Amino acid sequence: MSEAALSIKSVDKIYEGRGKGPVHAVKNLDMNVQRGEIVALLGSSGCGKTSTLRMIAGFEEVTHGDIVLEGRRVNQMPPARRNVAMAFEGYSLYPPLTVRDNIAFALKSARSSAKDVQRSVADVAHILEIEPVLDRYPSSISGGEQQRASLARALVRQADLYLLDEPMGQLEPRLRAVLRGRLKSLLVDRRMTAIFVTHDQTEANALADRVAVMEGGVLQQFASQKDLRERPTNLFVATFVGEPPMNVFESKVVNGDRVRFAIDGGPTFDFADSDIPPSVRAAIGRRDKVVVGVRPHALRLGAGSGNARIVSNQWLGDQSHLAMEVAGKLMVAVSHAPIPAEVGDRLQFGVSASDLHVFDVSTSAALSHGLEAA
Amino acid sequence: MANLEIRSVSKEFKTGKVLDRISLAADNGEIVAVFGPSGSGKTVLLRLIAGVEQPDEGTILLGGRDVTDQAPERRGVGMAFQNFALFPHMSAFDNVASALTAHKTPPESVRAKVEKIAALLKIEHVLGHAPRELSNGQKQRTALARALVAEPKILLLDDPLRNVDAKLRYEMRLELPSLLKASGSTVLYVTQDYKEAMALGDRIAVLSDRDFAQIARPAEIYGRPATINVASLFGDPTINLIPVEPLASSTGPKIGIGGAALSLPPGYGHVTGKLGVLGLRAENIVVEDTASQESVPVEVVAVTPLNERTLLLLRTDDGREILASEAGMNEAPRRHGPAFARFDPEAILLFDPASGRRIAPQSA
Amino acid sequence: MEHMSLPERVVRGVLIALIVLFFLFPIFWIFLMSFQTNEDILRIPPSLFFTPSLSNYSALITGKLVSTAGTLDIAFMKNLWNSVLLSTASVVIALILGVPAAYAFARFKFRLGEDIAFTLLSFRFAPPLLVLLPLSLYFQQLGLTDTYIGLIWVYQLIALPLILWIVRGYFEDLSPDIEYAYRVAGHSWWRTFTRIAIPLAGPGIAAAGLLAFIFCWNNFVFALILASAEKQPVTVGALAFVTASGIQYGQIAAAIVLSVAPTLALALYAQRYLVEGLSLGAVKG
Repeated sequence: MSEAALSIKSVDKIYEGRGKGPVHAVKNLDMNVQRGEIVALLGSSGCGKTSTLRMIAGFEEVTHGDIVLEGRRVNQMPPARRNVAMAFEGYSLYPPLTVRDNIAFALKSARSSAKDVQRSVADVAHILEIEPVLDRYPSSISGGEQQRASLARALVRQADLYLLDEPMGQLEPRLRAVLRGRLKSLLVDRRMTAIFVTHDQTEANALADRVAVMEGGVLQQFASQKDLRERPTNLFVATFVGEPPMNVFESKVVNGDRVRFAIDGGPTFDFADSDIPPSVRAAIGRRDKVVVGVRPHALRLGAGSGNARIVSNQWLGDQSHLAMEVAGKLMVAVSHAPIPAEVGDRLQFGVSASDLHVFDVSTSAALSHGLEAA
Repeated sequence: MANLEIRSVSKEFKTGKVLDRISLAADNGEIVAVFGPSGSGKTVLLRLIAGVEQPDEGTILLGGRDVTDQAPERRGVGMAFQNFALFPHMSAFDNVASALTAHKTPPESVRAKVEKIAALLKIEHVLGHAPRELSNGQKQRTALARALVAEPKILLLDDPLRNVDAKLRYEMRLELPSLLKASGSTVLYVTQDYKEAMALGDRIAVLSDRDFAQIARPAEIYGRPATINVASLFGDPTINLIPVEPLASSTGPKIGIGGAALSLPPGYGHVTGKLGVLGLRAENIVVEDTASQESVPVEVVAVTPLNERTLLLLRTDDGREILASEAGMNEAPRRHGPAFARFDPEAILLFDPASGRRIAPQSA
Repeated sequence: MEHMSLPERVVRGVLIALIVLFFLFPIFWIFLMSFQTNEDILRIPPSLFFTPSLSNYSALITGKLVSTAGTLDIAFMKNLWNSVLLSTASVVIALILGVPAAYAFARFKFRLGEDIAFTLLSFRFAPPLLVLLPLSLYFQQLGLTDTYIGLIWVYQLIALPLILWIVRGYFEDLSPDIEYAYRVAGHSWWRTFTRIAIPLAGPGIAAAGLLAFIFCWNNFVFALILASAEKQPVTVGALAFVTASGIQYGQIAAAIVLSVAPTLALALYAQRYLVEGLSLGAVKG
């Protein structure tokens, strides 16, 4: 079993506020990253992901708790001594050096021959498609090129850990898709342990082995993409992961001979006893109110006990996004074929038991996912 | 309301020409999405129509009247800016009301109109706050309210959802079309997100390389893009572009990919013997375990699960990389290794490499 | 922020104390002197301990100096009033002229704009002595010598460039989109200027005005040459204490304290704005 390359133990980060009071940016974080693993810190702005990355890098002090890198406690160690390579926003290129020299600078202490250094620089520049700008100065290249150069500078080093802050934020979608694949291959081939921060789920999904979803300074769930999507631990993760977001509704539940979910102000879904396994029924227990969720792709259109008015029908080239008015909210269904319906039409819809997620109304914790208890 | 027309408008800055004799006509009440990569001049176009910048040449007509030389405050246009541009020293209420106070509207009328639009955009409870106290989503709605409150004939929206978080952006993408239609204004909606353009626009004007590459309905732009550039800008993942040379054969035009000979629809018979670029969208490629008549042997090199789709990176025998996309999340995800790729010949696009323009198949 | 070790902090403290002492000591000494009689001041060796007396201040305020040679009339209060009048009026006029000009420079890119702006700034660089001779000739011809109007006009050389440069920087920092939004909403460019640009650049305008006030107040040469005793500000008025019967150090010290007090108070009160205003234009972008 591979050792933990990075261990975050009960870490808190509190910023002393000026006039506004202290900000508790990271709350009691526990996380282990294995060697060779690629981890994404995913969340909206202010969730604590950047503070966490900066603490690992050494740019911020840890208020409580420990950061352990390769078995060494590094809380007091300055960033330069941690053997960590970084590509951070604001950690920009040195203006008086060309891009090539900037990247090579990172290898200064590596004691390789000049030829090896040039070769490493050329390799990483090729992967990130910045060969044309190698001999230009940072002020004369575009934002996207600067970002890739900064990334190259981090990746060319041999380090225990690679920390990337929104590595492709400045790039347009076309380039992003291409570079993602190459970056992933590079990280995997060289068995690099990497942690990157992003607010873009597609990026997190494409690059990471496991994703840590954070919100309000608290780690919500740290799991593979598959688990986050199919078995979210709470309502936040369920509605955060996945585009478009999961449709959720408060509902009364009757857990008797049949299992009935009556959405407040909306349709009722009846399931026979045989449709819902005992483990799920046990998880729902004696509750009479729950929150039910169903992903947009899982809605069955055209038949079922639901009936709603269509508010919008958008065809996006390879998929259809249909929005319907249910229980005072907009419910979204996605289909990979155009849906022949007009705004204002009514459409029937249904959901099968295997696609239903159930959450507790007060704690938001997941109770069941489809045919399995949480 | 009014229609909007720009004729042969050009604009040049010290850094170079940004717009080169472009023309566009929007009908009364139409929503035209202006789409293009960053730096393509979309914001400049809006500023020219609003009147805060002057074109070097060309005419701008609003409601049939030539307004090219008219000051912005006379044009009767509503505008929402990318970074909101709210007045920091005024409350949200005063920000929205500023579009009415210029015309000496009586205070009761101002209050009524502001409250009505605020209710529609769900910001009635924050009207008393200063902009810095509002969340991004609230700022964006306040900026929209300011643009809409005077019921302008022409509405210019400069990427209003850009600085708003993903979830809110999606919600607004669903709500905006009906809101805009209800206002009755003719709308120019600038965006860098092709899905937003397709979702919101009655027509899309694709701005790239200083001119409109194509102005058409969304389905047309996606299904029959005018150039390679337009084809690459629409679609996620980006369209596969493969250099090919169609050859005539007894069974019609054929192309060679990865060692296999694949049929093209007969309509492409007129381009045999010439170099071309094949455009193939990822969702139109089917990956199977067994060979069939028109399939290409490939190796599945990478499998990336994305939003309710699986992306497959395929490599042909001659080293070409092709992206294919399968709908749904497979229970048993495709493994790496040999497979076969097949596509529907009717779904392909063919482009002329020299001009970048699409070659239309000729009917028999 | 990195931690400083204790020895580093001690050394830092000592160095700061030395620098502060170096700059503030003369002011401190003059403050002491203002409460001493001439005899105390001239005593050798100088002593920190003495009986404080308010005679210097009362002499200034009442306008009468009683000395061994007789009673002298001192016009110090008049000088103080002149300083206030000249500085305030100059700054007000410079603001009225300079703020719209700064806006024009910031917003309207016209040919030679940068060159004109720099020329105007260069007036600050020129040593006043350079222009004084020709100026005094012109003033005599125009009948402007020894008039408030003449002095206020000349003071524009001090105040106007300052205001132009500082306020232009503030206008340039304002996002043009905000002004566009107001114009598109239906307001004329004048209303946009008065309701949007000026309020938002307010701190900058205040800082520039403050700075200009301080520089005008401190001016010596223009007033010395172009004004007579009745219109002279405090900077020149202090010369009166060099009398035939000897230099009245005590009164000079008291005069200095009274002269410096208003601007010192203003500067302390608004120091944050002044630092901001001073660094603008120095670093672009």
